[in-house]
Amino acid sequence: MKKIGGLISVLILMVVLVAGCGEKEADTFTVGFDQNFPPMGFVGDDGEFTGFDLELAAEVATRLDRELVLQPISWDAKDMELKSENIDCVWNGFTINGREELYTWTDPYMENAQVFVVRNDSGIKSMADLKDKTVVVQKDSSAEKAIQDNTLLLETFGELIKAADYNMALMDLESGAVDAVAMDEIVARYQLGKREGVFEVMDEDISAEEYGVGFLLGNESLRDEVQEQLVAMAKDGTLKTISEKWFGSDVTTIK
Amino acid sequence: MNLYVLLSELGRGMLISIEIFVLTLIISLPLGLVIAFGRMAKQPVLRIFFKIYISIMRGTPLMLQLMVVYFGPYYLFGISLSRDYRFWAVIIGFGLNYAAYFAEIYRGGIESMPIGQYEAAKLLGYGKAQTFFRIILPQVIKRIIPAITNEVITLVKDTSLAFVISVTEMFTVAKAIASAQANMMPYVAAGIFYYIFNFVVATTMEKIEKKLSYYR
Repeated sequence: MKKIGGLISVLILMVVLVAGCGEKEADTFTVGFDQNFPPMGFVGDDGEFTGFDLELAAEVATRLDRELVLQPISWDAKDMELKSENIDCVWNGFTINGREELYTWTDPYMENAQVFVVRNDSGIKSMADLKDKTVVVQKDSSAEKAIQDNTLLLETFGELIKAADYNMALMDLESGAVDAVAMDEIVARYQLGKREGVFEVMDEDISAEEYGVGFLLGNESLRDEVQEQLVAMAKDGTLKTISEKWFGSDVTTIK
Repeated sequence: MNLYVLLSELGRGMLISIEIFVLTLIISLPLGLVIAFGRMAKQPVLRIFFKIYISIMRGTPLMLQLMVVYFGPYYLFGISLSRDYRFWAVIIGFGLNYAAYFAEIYRGGIESMPIGQYEAAKLLGYGKAQTFFRIILPQVIKRIIPAITNEVITLVKDTSLAFVISVTEMFTVAKAIASAQANMMPYVAAGIFYYIFNFVVATTMEKIEKKLSYYR
């Protein structure tokens, strides 16, 4: 009997632990992001999280008088994180196109394109050259979606591989195991700057798209609050300042 | 990023890994013994329950179990969770999983004890609990230490699975720095960290093993 008692008390302890975690702080603003996604959200030289999107989020949180919580997430678990209310929004170079119906969005704040990155000695210049080649995308990324939608192009590929994050994909590319990586242009440019003379971005884009802040479908009240602050930041020039700091020019599109 | 920042960031991640490691052992080593008893119980319902428990825990990926423990309360019962639960979900998931493995190791050890030992203890007037804790268990522990060491070392490396529910342990930190810096150094450093961690664990376990081999 003793054994059963012990087991039951362990179970009770667990239930108490779970139940005790029930309440939710209202004065925080929890941003979920993929920390392997420079320059939007990543680990800076000082070891702290930094990036264009995170800086915008921090400014919004300050203006909303909420405490900013930066929560790195596993990218393919973002929906579960949102639905279980572990994060308030995904703010991370989050492409609206193709996901319009899945989240409650702010207005797009910047433009982006999906591009192919290739080794600069590969001789691959256009999408036609990708015939029978191996292409990598990040799992669950909008590059993956853009390629899946383009069945004609997809059929010419030798193989389409899904990587856990861009860095892995680019390492694969650099080592010669794959021939091209399909990814966000913004991130590609940043990575190219870090690894000079190894890669190049193909001139042909896969698709043009826009970034927004994604909230759980139906969470309009928080979306409106954030949207309002973004507009205010566009008006007083804060967006421009932050954009110039990260990209050297104003790339934001909120009016 | 200079080496100092790199190492201190990895060190921070390592602290999380160590926390997972220690807390998992604190939960799973005793829990494993309870499960082993359940698995060896004479009462068939109890025995079958634990048999199924062990079968599920060993038969499904730890990664999946972590997701179930973390997201389960919300998706199954509608309980919304706070930020702290993330870490505890990892501990509960790891604890339940490793307890199943430890249970089978304990069972192997306990069942390997000759029946004569029980008979002798009974003749000497030992009660059931006394027999187990004074006579059987010390010998069992001695026998199962190498198998336990195996699991414990695997646990060190398994801590990297915690990122599936976004707990930033060491390997996650290494990955993040590697993508921000676009170089391989963080991976190399992480490898060295893991090796040192395991070296300490293996050496400690060896010391314990030596200490327990008092009849040789």
